[in-house]
Amino acid sequence: MKLFGSLSFRLALIYAGLFTVSVSLLGGLYFWAAIARPLGQVREQLAQEGEALSAVYRRGGADALAPLLERRAGDPSPRLAYHALLRPDGSVVTSNLPSWPRSFTTRWLRIEADVAREGDEDEYEALALDLPLEGEARLLIGRDIEDLDELEEGVRETLVWLLPALALLTLAGGALMSRAIGRRIDAMTATARRVIAGDLSGRIPRGRAGDDFDRLAETLNLMLDRIEASLEAVRRVSDSVAHELRTPLSRLKASLIELEAEPEAGAEPLRRAIEEADRLQSIFDSLLRISRIEASRHAAAFERVDLSELMLDAVDYYQPAAEAKGQRLTASVAPGLETRGDRDLLFQAVSNLLDNAIKYTPAGGLVAVSVGLVAGEILVAISDTGPGIAPEHREKVAERFFRAPSVEGVPGLGLGLSVVQAIAAYHRSHLRFESADPGLRVEWRLPRDDRPEERTD
Amino acid sequence: MHVLLIEDDARLAAFITKALREEGHLVDHRSDGKDGLLQASLESYDLIILDRMLPSVDGLKILQTIRATGDLTPVLILSALGDLDERVKGLRAGGDDYLPKPFALSELLARAEVLGRRRPAPDEPARISIAGLDLDVVGRTVSRAGRRIELTNREFRILEFLARNAGRIVTRSMLLEHVWDYHFDPQTNIIDQHVSRLRQKLDRGFETSLVETVRGAGYTIRRSG
Repeated sequence: MKLFGSLSFRLALIYAGLFTVSVSLLGGLYFWAAIARPLGQVREQLAQEGEALSAVYRRGGADALAPLLERRAGDPSPRLAYHALLRPDGSVVTSNLPSWPRSFTTRWLRIEADVAREGDEDEYEALALDLPLEGEARLLIGRDIEDLDELEEGVRETLVWLLPALALLTLAGGALMSRAIGRRIDAMTATARRVIAGDLSGRIPRGRAGDDFDRLAETLNLMLDRIEASLEAVRRVSDSVAHELRTPLSRLKASLIELEAEPEAGAEPLRRAIEEADRLQSIFDSLLRISRIEASRHAAAFERVDLSELMLDAVDYYQPAAEAKGQRLTASVAPGLETRGDRDLLFQAVSNLLDNAIKYTPAGGLVAVSVGLVAGEILVAISDTGPGIAPEHREKVAERFFRAPSVEGVPGLGLGLSVVQAIAAYHRSHLRFESADPGLRVEWRLPRDDRPEERTD
Repeated sequence: MHVLLIEDDARLAAFITKALREEGHLVDHRSDGKDGLLQASLESYDLIILDRMLPSVDGLKILQTIRATGDLTPVLILSALGDLDERVKGLRAGGDDYLPKPFALSELLARAEVLGRRRPAPDEPARISIAGLDLDVVGRTVSRAGRRIELTNREFRILEFLARNAGRIVTRSMLLEHVWDYHFDPQTNIIDQHVSRLRQKLDRGFETSLVETVRGAGYTIRRSG
């Protein structure tokens, strides 16, 4: 059955058992302290009295004992004293007990000792000691234990009802609790099964209490959000990869078919085929590079990199390209700014940015690079006088294969900025695309490493 | 040149072997790590081309084992592994060069050539004279047929690298790695523009071009001429 299979119900059962045992223990302790121990004291007292009185009888017989017993009955003790002294034939010498067993049965007796006093009949219960005396005579002495008797009965009755009631209550409580918890867990299980079945939009319903389960549900929901977003991104990328590969593939195929039909056409279709194959390879290379960078969480290969030097290298590297387009490529670089990172990747990123700037800036334009310190961070800025990126596209330019409508016609894969973005994220740095009015201004903020020089070799 | 190729991909291995043989090299191929290691210890090679991922013994292990025996044969590592610091790992293990897959065959051939011909000469010559060209590496001066040519620092280093490897093909990536000291795939023709500037300065007033373009591969300076 489901109820017994649930952890919470088993816990409730254990809890009920423990609770019942401890209540029983407590009851027993109370019983011993309030009833058993005082009763034992009374018994001890009676035994001592019995011994003394038997001795009196041995010495002086019934005549000596009877007045003693009567005086004892008049004692103002909190426990009333009872007695019955019987001759060997069973007739009474003296007694204040209403009844007693006709013949000796057992040493200790419980005897009803109701006493009529001032018109009311008080109920008394006496603990009595039945003592055979010399010569077949018989002495019964007792003490009132009505309070203890009542208490005992009360405790007995209470326990008889209390224990089963307690067990039932805790069981019922446990069942209720396990149902309440079970329902929450079932909701999570159901959601998980939905997700397993492929419905990634499934979310665990949240309660209002804000309790542990709600926090767990919230956390799991956030995890599902994250997974859904990643899967969505993967799906989008693989969709666009498939889409983007179709064009070069079909062109490649067209060139090859042309070559097959006319082997003499030779060089030109072959050149085009190689060009398309190159294009395909560079798409794959870029995608592979992006996913490698994105998959790298550790920064084991990070070293100190002099960004100022690296930027000057990059500007030097691109100078002929800018000059070939009649552009000015200027650099304003504060010296000695260091960061921690992968030198080759940083160069790759900067090189992609410069490549874009030079490619999209018209002939005669300006590409300005600056490196400086802003609020403790290194700010690398590359501004150009190209068409810029419309504000609504700035968020999307780093997506794979995204190309702004303004750059249509300029060859490109739409992967360059994705690579830059991946490298920036890998270096825990921030990349922003702003307007340079006109043109584009790329701002890249990198953490500065200004610890004193460390030499490893 | 005697080359040992340790590569488990049969098609790629056949491709590389064929290309190296066409270049006139002697090629032994092993497709398994253990066999490759054994072969490397049995014979003396000018170059070992080593795949990073191999059955039975890992490429890096092989490299470390080879180096541990004091064998300094140049090793070119081929790797398709995705780790970013794969190159660093390979070079640390004692590799001399590293080429990520996929690569252009021309790139592999050019690198193999440069690596395999490397002589263990601790001090490189301070003067290089080749094809009418005179380079003073210390003084950073160049003259062609006795005529002094002014070059920028960068242009000088491009020329120096080409001249040191005269007779061999130097690829764009190799230039980027040795002249700029950055390892990445340039994907663009930026290097070509640097070379063409250098060429303009070198060839002004001369009939023949000193630095030749090898289509689909890179550049070379011919030894004769």
